[in-house]
Amino acid sequence: MIPVTETLIPPADAERSAGDVLLEVEDLAVEFRSDDGAVRAVDGLSYRVEAGRTLALVGESGCGKSVSSLAVMGLLPPTARVVRGTARYRGTDLLALSPTRHRAHCGTHVAMVFQDALAALNPVHTVGYQLTESLRSRTGTSRREARRRAVELLDLVKVPNAAQRVDEYPHQFSGGMRQRVMIASALALDPDVLIADEPTTALDVTVQAQVLRLLAEIQAERQMGLVLITHDLGVVAGVADDVTVMYAGRAVEHAPVRDLYAAPAHPYTRALLRSVPRLDSGAEVAGGRLPVVPGRPPAPGRVPSGCSFHPRCDMAQDLCRTVEPPLDDVAPGRSSACHFAAELLGGARA
Amino acid sequence: MGRYILRRSLLGVATLLLVMFVLHLLTTFAIQLNGNPALAFFGDKVPTESQLAAVETRFGLDDPCYDQTGNPCLGPFVERLGQYAQGDFGTNLRGREVTDIVATAAPNTLKLFLVVTIVWFVLGMGLGTAAARRRDRSADHGIRLTSVLIDAFPIFVLLLVYRYVFAVPLNGWAEDTFGAGSLPALWFRPSFDDDHPWATLLVPGILLGLAGSAAFIRLVRASQLESYAGDHVRTARSRGLNERHVVTHHVIRNSAVPVVTAVGLTFTEALAGAVVTEGMMNIYGMGGVLWEAVRAADVALILGIVTILAAVTVVVMLVVDIAYAALDPRIRYA
Ligand SMILES: Nc1ncnc2c1ncn2[C@@H]1O[C@H](COP(=O)(O)OP(=O)(O)OP(=O)(O)O)[C@@H](O)[C@H]1O
Ligand code: SF4
Ligand SMILES: [Mg+2]
Repeated sequence: MIPVTETLIPPADAERSAGDVLLEVEDLAVEFRSDDGAVRAVDGLSYRVEAGRTLALVGESGCGKSVSSLAVMGLLPPTARVVRGTARYRGTDLLALSPTRHRAHCGTHVAMVFQDALAALNPVHTVGYQLTESLRSRTGTSRREARRRAVELLDLVKVPNAAQRVDEYPHQFSGGMRQRVMIASALALDPDVLIADEPTTALDVTVQAQVLRLLAEIQAERQMGLVLITHDLGVVAGVADDVTVMYAGRAVEHAPVRDLYAAPAHPYTRALLRSVPRLDSGAEVAGGRLPVVPGRPPAPGRVPSGCSFHPRCDMAQDLCRTVEPPLDDVAPGRSSACHFAAELLGGARA
Repeated sequence: MGRYILRRSLLGVATLLLVMFVLHLLTTFAIQLNGNPALAFFGDKVPTESQLAAVETRFGLDDPCYDQTGNPCLGPFVERLGQYAQGDFGTNLRGREVTDIVATAAPNTLKLFLVVTIVWFVLGMGLGTAAARRRDRSADHGIRLTSVLIDAFPIFVLLLVYRYVFAVPLNGWAEDTFGAGSLPALWFRPSFDDDHPWATLLVPGILLGLAGSAAFIRLVRASQLESYAGDHVRTARSRGLNERHVVTHHVIRNSAVPVVTAVGLTFTEALAGAVVTEGMMNIYGMGGVLWEAVRAADVALILGIVTILAAVTVVVMLVVDIAYAALDPRIRYA
């Protein structure tokens, strides 16, 4: 056999310093094979992750958040395939690599936290085993050393009684603790980029906040690039630096989080923001129900012509039904895929 | 874990008692309906009253309940349980201890079983794993088709065809090529030879293993496919582990629970197959002895052997249950 360290772990990581571009996804498109032909689940998504920053990927269920992340990780199901685009990790296009070499980047350079930790962790192995199996299998760390690392990792994610709990199984943990284990296992090889796919949706609200804070702390401390996937803009405010809003498989708005909250440059973002409960304006929660974005997102393969949001948009004009708006810069550091983004922003300023 | 094993053991003992009782009822009713099996002792001769009575006493058939159709004969059952508990399984019609017969027959059956188990386990794990890994590709289709084909030939058909079509020419060819007493010649002997148990057991064992492997291949494939679809496999891959590690530690390991369960079921199937195989290939083993005992209406021998086989099955099931708990922590800590 070829020495493990040489082939499986790509060259030693460069130091991470704030602002380094770690991961750049460009024009990504993913298709699913189905009975009635190929169906686009992601269609021209671009985003960029920098060291020390958190990017939130936001959008309704089914807009392609998970599928695009799985594509980056090379974990798409056999029925899906990347049809276009690149995902460059420090300049190397992961999507152009052989599956084996792509796999080698997983865990060390780009790691992923999954939503449902109970299903995502293996029920028949101890938590300690799962925390360090990559370490042991890829770097030949001894059993003893691995155990020490496992305890360290559990400490890092603030699981009480770490030394004792490493020998327990996932089903013996509560939901919140299990999600912490999931996070710890993704951190085992100190990845540059962590993609967290709805890491807190399965948890109740207080636990949700704790886990998010933990993620944010670890991200800041390690100068990691974090991609936080969520369908809840409310979650984003305290944690993210930048936000990319997705609709029907593509990005429709990108902005620093403050700017986005202050003045959305896309009607879809505006509708999403309206559905977020706000402590300062009780008026919007009047009637006891939050407004949701009216209508439903299109099923992949049935995306409307022109602007894909037009059937649900309260600003839609004739132009929107025929001409697809490109994702263009509308202000420094901001872009929007709406024909009337300038008006929207201007209106907010006026 | 301790309580789990205790619970399972008690369940096993209860199962064994139930099996013995059902067996007792069946033989009792058979005696009541078909007449006195003690007559079998005399073959074609017609015994006198006193001779018959003596034989009935010796085999415990003198209880009047055997003349009353529908009577469950609980008395003799309890009596027999007491004898079994002291290791006394009675004698066959010729007066030989049942335990003695078992002691000479069991080793051959064990040898047959070893061959069978190795064959079906290797085929099942090997082909099942290969099929799951190449799902919906030609290797997978080929393996599934093979397993269905094997199922189309029950063990006795396989044995019949082998014994009457292939064994003689193969044996002749091997004797011509390698010499009369050579190993290949023994392999293809159409019947068992006590002096060369391993060599003459090999082919029947392989055939029986082949017959048992078909369902096992499909089960291994199905349970591994289920594992492959599990989220935990995706997580393992996201850790950058190589595919071989993922397959052994997250696919095969996780499918071990249903597979071990199937081992228990396949074992009982192989037990039934062994009875047929030993009978057809004249192998002197538990199945062969049972086969003869049934033909000779030797009640004590039938009861003794079936009880021992049932006990072995119960023990295997218990081992399976314990393995099951050892493999799945969710059961262990329940
Ligand atoms: N295995 C699959 N087979 C076919 N289509 C799929 C499959 N997985 C996802 N899709 C399609 O791809 C689209 C994007 O799915 P994805 O899981 O990325 O959504 P998401 O944004 O992560 O939503 P959620 O918030 O519900 O997790 C969905 O609309 C779905 O129809
Ligand atoms: S382009 Fe038109 S339909 Fe699309 S979001 Fe803008 S206004 Fe609405
Ligand atoms: Mg998702």
